[in-house]
Amino acid sequence: MNELGKKLARIAFDERGADYLLAMREEHGNVAPSMIRKGEDAGDVRVDLPYQLVNILSNIYPWVPKGRIAVVCRRCDEKALNEIIKRNLMDRDRLILIGLACTREQVALCRCSDPVPSKVDIGEANAPVREDPLMVKLDSMSQQDRLKFWTSEFRKCNKCFGCTLNCPVCFCDDCVLEEHTFTPELGIPPSFAFHLVRSMHMSDKCIECGECERSCAGGIPLLTLRKMANRDMKRMFGYEAGDKEKVSPLLTTLEGKLLEDGEHVC
Amino acid sequence: MSVNHVLTTCPYCGTGCQFFLQVVDDRLVGVVPCKTDEISQGRLCIKGYHAHAFVHHPDRLKTPLVRKDGQLVRASWHEALGRIVSEVKEIVAHHGPDSVLVLASAKCTNEENYLIQKLARAAIGTNNVDHCARLCHASTVSGLILSFGSGAMTNTTPEFDNADCILVTGSNTMEAHPIIASHMFKAHAKGAKVIVVDPRETPLSRMAYRSLHQKPGTDIAWINGMMKVIIDEDLYDRDFVKNRTTGFEALKKVVDGYTPDRVEQITGIAGKDLIDIARTYAKSEKAMIAYAMGVTQHSNGTNIVRALANLTMLTGHLGKESVGLNALRGQCNVQGSCDSGGLPDFFPGYQKVDDPETVKKFEKAWGVKLPHEKGLTLTWAVQQAAEGKIKAIVAFGENVMLSDPDITHLEKALKKLEFLAIVDIFPSETALLADVVLPAACYAEKDGTFTSTDRALRPVRKAVDPPGEAMPDWKIACELGRRFGVPGFEFKSPSEIMDEMAGLAPIYGGIDYERIDRQVIRWPCPSKDSPGAKFLHAGSFKMGRGVFAPVEHTDPQEVPSPEFPMILTTGRNLFQYHTGTMTRRSSKLEREAPEPYVELNSKDAKAFGVVDGERVRVSSRRGSVSLAARVTDNIIPGTMFIPFHYAEAPANRLTNPALDPIAHIPELKVCAARIEKG
Ligand code: SF4
Ligand code: SF4
Ligand code: SF4
Repeated sequence: MNELGKKLARIAFDERGADYLLAMREEHGNVAPSMIRKGEDAGDVRVDLPYQLVNILSNIYPWVPKGRIAVVCRRCDEKALNEIIKRNLMDRDRLILIGLACTREQVALCRCSDPVPSKVDIGEANAPVREDPLMVKLDSMSQQDRLKFWTSEFRKCNKCFGCTLNCPVCFCDDCVLEEHTFTPELGIPPSFAFHLVRSMHMSDKCIECGECERSCAGGIPLLTLRKMANRDMKRMFGYEAGDKEKVSPLLTTLEGKLLEDGEHVC
Repeated sequence: MSVNHVLTTCPYCGTGCQFFLQVVDDRLVGVVPCKTDEISQGRLCIKGYHAHAFVHHPDRLKTPLVRKDGQLVRASWHEALGRIVSEVKEIVAHHGPDSVLVLASAKCTNEENYLIQKLARAAIGTNNVDHCARLCHASTVSGLILSFGSGAMTNTTPEFDNADCILVTGSNTMEAHPIIASHMFKAHAKGAKVIVVDPRETPLSRMAYRSLHQKPGTDIAWINGMMKVIIDEDLYDRDFVKNRTTGFEALKKVVDGYTPDRVEQITGIAGKDLIDIARTYAKSEKAMIAYAMGVTQHSNGTNIVRALANLTMLTGHLGKESVGLNALRGQCNVQGSCDSGGLPDFFPGYQKVDDPETVKKFEKAWGVKLPHEKGLTLTWAVQQAAEGKIKAIVAFGENVMLSDPDITHLEKALKKLEFLAIVDIFPSETALLADVVLPAACYAEKDGTFTSTDRALRPVRKAVDPPGEAMPDWKIACELGRRFGVPGFEFKSPSEIMDEMAGLAPIYGGIDYERIDRQVIRWPCPSKDSPGAKFLHAGSFKMGRGVFAPVEHTDPQEVPSPEFPMILTTGRNLFQYHTGTMTRRSSKLEREAPEPYVELNSKDAKAFGVVDGERVRVSSRRGSVSLAARVTDNIIPGTMFIPFHYAEAPANRLTNPALDPIAHIPELKVCAARIEKG
């Protein structure tokens, strides 16, 4: 067990009463997600890889009906959990957040404007990055050139669905992207609709974790695309995803009242 | 409640991506990519993401089955194994060991393939052991062994990232090897020139610097044509040719006949394009070629592979990082099943079965007398079975009834057998014809190793228990070996099997489970202190000099005729895998590609009065299938394409079993056919 493992085990099990700790640790010369049980050796824990633990948790959560789970959370993970909990997909009382502040390098890689979790348990708070260089470049391009740029990027999409499968806030049971109207079967690359439908659909949920971009088999700069759509959302509705309380304007009636519980999850 | 993440290797294509299987109490619930894996780098294709989906499918075989009174009925392991051994022994006693064929499998681990070939050679006494590599890259193995002395991908997958020219031919890389394409994109983003030569417009060709379409079966002509341009314009690597090769003068003479005009006539590729790609390829410093079954599945497949080898030697594009000739192999362990000796002419590690010294070495190691003659290839053996010369087949995980050419003929051949035993995870089309069916564990239910297309040893780790009474193939092979009464089948774990194989196959000499558990090692790895090899043929070839083999263009065995005016070519799509036994049981994959179809050009569609989506009948000299038409401009006029995944319209009812004379690979890529309404 390395120092980090000891520290995390102490925080999770001794101080905060968790039954499980979800973290990344070294296994077989690689870094593996692990659901560590109370009393078990935490092993050589690593926090230097941007794994989306919340997404990994979402997959197993329905199968683990009892016990409190501690999760290592960066600011984006914390915000993703807020979106998940607001939709009653997980129970806040069963979750224990262990705050991880991202390194400067990670903040730069994510062009992240909000890198510090509400409580820092591990790491040191670093300054945010205000600009996404590619976004700045695209903003200065003509609409035609922008279209050309995205068309050539989207040509590399092979419909792996990694951008949805690895996204911590993609939680619809029936994915709109599997709808044949938007995404006819067989053909790759899929049409513009695939990316634009996803883009719109995520704009009140996306917390800019960048996992879609990191896992994109085509190497498409999806995080920039996300940031641009989120910026529109903010301009038009004054809304940013990830807040504990504030509900998406898309989840309210025309009069601005909240939709009935469970009426709209996605 | 236990939750585990088990790092293992994808059971689909040969890229060898690693991922974590999410396991909750012996049930697979998901797949998580592995960001630290050097090959997949945290990315997967849609098949990889759903690799857990078929594992718990209710159709899985759970108990042995034995045919009684014409019916397959449930039996004990004892009875089923006993039946195989007694029937095979009886046939050997009457007709000799060479009346038996054993099929290894590119879906089984290295350790299992090692044992399967040992079972054939040491327990049954025949070199008749082969597997489906015969149908995909046999011509790569035979062609490259002749040209370079070693029949494997010369580079590693991550080396594509830094290439500055990538020539892709006969490979629909984005669909068949998505994560290798992902590496190519990295090079593309840095400005690499991607050249695609393919009869179909593939997704990759749309982002290519040049996308050229040749008529199917005319590859040697354009490759020779490139070489002529390169020699005429003095763009070849004189030092490399002088110091590292033989046979240049003969090559020069043959390719001289391939002027751009003549090439245009034969292939349909415009002369100016040919000249352009020849210059681009020759002048690039880091030039890589990637090819797949569009090259190999021809009756002159070995020669096409040799033509590509000539091109790399001529330009000196070999033996350096991000420079080389790369066969992209189709199945998770097709590289390893060849390495482990699942071939009729090679012991493990490509050691010849007809070399007396080698035979002696294996006889000593295994403690039995071994046959000295090469065995029969899969495709050849099937023809022998039709003539009644092969009496029994024991097949591990091979669904030959969909993957092999001309299945009507094949079915007859299988029905003629006196005995057929199948080991598989699902009741495949082939299993239904068998006398004994044994239930196997799938990749998620056993330990072992696969060898990826780029020669990396990739651990396969057990995540869940096999269903019912199913057992891993290595255990089944051990049980059979023991029952045949020969020594050397007492293994307790796959790691022990690897140790034995490493001791006998020098290219795996330094491999053991402890090393590969934490490191990526690629063969050749002759000793424990060897780190393995990244790119091959640096400095010299295994056999000293590389051999130029001048090859001439020949027409495919079948050319269009008035009765069959079209060329039919076959292949796969992204969402299904091979004969579909696994993917068609994964709902997300089946959703993408549920139905068999034939692609044809809109001009041809008009000429034949066919509209998109309409039901049509496609026929060749061997049979016909009924399926939906997909009208597209992604395929050149005069050519049709059918993927071979679908049992309800098997493309291989139509294909031509004509064989390459050296590799015995069938001509799956070209036959003459016609299309009609209805
Ligand atoms: S950045 Fe991508 S993966 Fe992350 S929340 Fe937004 S859409 Fe999902
Ligand atoms: S992750 Fe990239 S390649 Fe995969 S579906 Fe999304 S956009 Fe396409
Ligand atoms: S590219 Fe091949 S090995 Fe990788 S996930 Fe897809 S099928 Fe599996």
